[in-house]
Amino acid sequence: MKLTDPRLEPLSRMNDSVESGWSRALALVRIEGGVRRMLILLAVAFVIFAALRPSIFLSGTNLRNIALNSPEIGVLAIAMMLAMLTGGIDLSLVAMANLSAITMATLFTAMAANDPGQAEQMFPVIVLAGVAVGVLGGAINGLLISGLGITPILATLGTMQIFNGIAVAWTGGKTLYGSPEVLTGIGASTLGGVPTLFCLFVLVAVAIGVVINRTPLGLRIQLQGANPTAALYSGIASRKILMSTYLMTGLLSGIAGVFFIARNPTASADYGASYVLLVIVIAVLGGTNPNGGFATVFGVVLATLTLEIVSSGFTALRLSSYQYAIAQGLILVAAMAAEQIKWRRRRNRKPVLQPT
Amino acid sequence: MSAISLSLPTRLSRLRGANNEGVLALVLLALIVGMSIANPVFFTLPTAFSILRSSIVPLIFALGVLMVIISGGIDVSFAAIAVFAAYTTVQMHQNGAPDLGLVAAFLLALLIGASLGAINGFLIARFRLSTLIVTLGTQGIFKGALLTYVGSRYVADLPDSMAAVSTTNLFAVDTASGGAYLHILVVPAVLMAVGLAWVLRYTMFGRSIYAIGGDVEAARRAGIRVVRTQMVVYVIAGTMAAVGGMIYVIMERSASPQILVGSELDIIAAVVLGGASIFGGRGSVLGTTLGVLLVQVIFNSLILAGVPSAWQRTAVGLLLILGVGIQAITSRKSSRAKVMDETIQKQEVPA
Repeated sequence: MKLTDPRLEPLSRMNDSVESGWSRALALVRIEGGVRRMLILLAVAFVIFAALRPSIFLSGTNLRNIALNSPEIGVLAIAMMLAMLTGGIDLSLVAMANLSAITMATLFTAMAANDPGQAEQMFPVIVLAGVAVGVLGGAINGLLISGLGITPILATLGTMQIFNGIAVAWTGGKTLYGSPEVLTGIGASTLGGVPTLFCLFVLVAVAIGVVINRTPLGLRIQLQGANPTAALYSGIASRKILMSTYLMTGLLSGIAGVFFIARNPTASADYGASYVLLVIVIAVLGGTNPNGGFATVFGVVLATLTLEIVSSGFTALRLSSYQYAIAQGLILVAAMAAEQIKWRRRRNRKPVLQPT
Repeated sequence: MSAISLSLPTRLSRLRGANNEGVLALVLLALIVGMSIANPVFFTLPTAFSILRSSIVPLIFALGVLMVIISGGIDVSFAAIAVFAAYTTVQMHQNGAPDLGLVAAFLLALLIGASLGAINGFLIARFRLSTLIVTLGTQGIFKGALLTYVGSRYVADLPDSMAAVSTTNLFAVDTASGGAYLHILVVPAVLMAVGLAWVLRYTMFGRSIYAIGGDVEAARRAGIRVVRTQMVVYVIAGTMAAVGGMIYVIMERSASPQILVGSELDIIAAVVLGGASIFGGRGSVLGTTLGVLLVQVIFNSLILAGVPSAWQRTAVGLLLILGVGIQAITSRKSSRAKVMDETIQKQEVPA
C-alpha cells in the first residue's frame, strides 16, 4: 500500500526510517550471530580446560603464554582471511614471514659484526627491511595472480616453494641467531600486565577491520569475493583490488616475521611448518567463507584465541602435538560441515524461484 | 577438409596435443639434449634408469592426484594416506604378526588406503565442502592418528617378502660407465598409468570424471551420479596412494612415519605442469607422465650441475609458476581470439 496523501508524508518517512533502522538492527544481529558462536566456543574451551587442570591452565605463566603465542598466528590468520575474502588463498604466508625474519637476523648479524652499538641503533631500518621483504613477496603474489591471471592456490603454492627454497639455501638449513635488543625487549615487555606483542596484534586487527568495513577499498574487496562477475560489471578494477589484497597479506606476513623474531631472537627456514594448516583452520573457524565475500576480523581474532587455548589446554593435559594436529583437522572439517548444513537448511526453508 | 591431407596448422595442433603434451615433450627433449651436451655423463643408460627409478613413486602419486584434479578437486592428503597405509602394514609385522607375504601385505595396505580415501570422499561428496580444505584437515588427522596410535619409530627391517623385492631388477645391463639396473617396480607404475589412461578414455566412469570436473550441474542433469562417482574417485585415489607408499617403503628398505613429508606439492606441480587444469575437466595420463619425468630430469640435472639440493624446491616452484603462467596467458589469448572470431562472424552474417 502506498501513502500518497501529503498529510501522511511524515508518517511515511517515519515508516521508512523505522524500516531501515530495523533492517540495520537485523544486520547487526546477524553479524553478531557468527561472532557470538565464536564467543561461546571460546568460553566453552576455556571452562573445560580450566576445570580439568586448574592448577596448570589458570596459572599466570600459561595465560601469558597464550597471549604471547597468539599474535604471530593471529596476524597470519588475518592475512589468510583477507586472501579468502577475495575468494583466493595464500599458502605462502608462513614462508614469507620466515624470509622476513631471516632477513632481519642476517642484517643485524652483519651490522653487529662491524659495530654492535650502531647495529642496535639501526633497529628501525632492520624492522623496515623485514616488513619490506614481506611486501615484496606479496607484490610477487599479486603480480602473478592479478597480472598473469594464475589461480591463487597455484600461484602461492609456487611462491611458497620458491620463498622456502630461498630461505633454506640462504640459511643452509641452520637456525640463525641475533636480533636487536630493542626488539627482544618489546617481545618480553608488558603493557599493564598484557604482553606488548598482544597489544600490537590487537592494533593490527583493528586496523584491518577498519580497512575492510570502513573504506572503499574494503567494500570493493568484499564485493570482489562475493561475486566477481557482478564486481566486474560494477566497474570495479579487479586487478587493482587483487593486487592490493595480496600486498596487504604480504605486509601482514612481514609483520608476523617481526613478531617471530621479537618473541625469540632466532630465525630458520622451517619455523612454523604446521602454521599453514593452523592458519586456515583459524580463518575458517572464525567465520570466513573460503569461497569469498564473507569474513569478520573479530571472529578471526576470537578463533585465534580459541585455538591457542585448545593448544595450551592439550599441553596442560599432557597430550602430544600429534593429538593437537588431529584436533585441528577435526575442528576444521566440523566447522565447514556445520556451516554447509546450516546454509543448506536456510536454503531449503526459503526455496528459490525455479527457472521455468 | 579431408582426413588424408590435413592442413599444416591442424597437423601442428594435433602434435601439440589437447593439453600441450607435445610442447612438454619438446621441452623435455630439449632439456635432455642440452644436458647431454653439457655433461656427457648424463646421456648414459645408468642415468636414464636411475631417473626412471626415481620417477616410480611420484608417477603413482601423480596418477591419483590427476584423477582428483580432473574431477575438479585437489588432494593434499595423499602423502599422509600413503605413509599411514605403508607404515601400519610394516608396523603390524613389527608387533609380532607373521609375515603376510607380499600379496597379502599389499592387500592390507590397499584396504587401509581405500578406507582413508573413503573418508575424504564422504566429506567432499556428501557435504560438498572445498576439497583443498577437507584434505588439508584429513591430512592433519591421518598424520596425527598415525603418530599417536600406530607408532613413531623408524623401522629398519622390513618383512622378508617385502625386503626381497627391493633388490630385484627387471634387467641389468653392463655398460662402459658401470652397471645399469632397471628396478622391477617400474612394472606396476607403467601398468597403473596404462590402466588409468584406459579407464579415463574408454569407460563410462572415466568420462563421468571429466564431465563432473567440467561442470557439476551439467553432469548431474546429464544423469551422472555425481556423489557416487566422487566417492569412487577418492577411494581409488586413496588406494593408489597406498600402492605408492608401499613401493616407496620397499625401495627405501625402511619405514618411518615421517617419510614423504612435503612431497605433496612437488607432485601437484608435476600434474599441473602436465596440462591438467586445476579447475577440473582437463588432463591426461600422458601429460602427467611427461610432467613427472620433467621434474625428475630437472632434479637430476641440478645434482649433476652441482647445485645444492636446497635449490630443488625453488626450481619446482619456478617451474610451476612458469608452466601455469604460460597456460594462463595462452588461454587468455585464445579466449580473446575466439571472441574476435565470433564478432567477425556476426558482422559477416548481415552482408
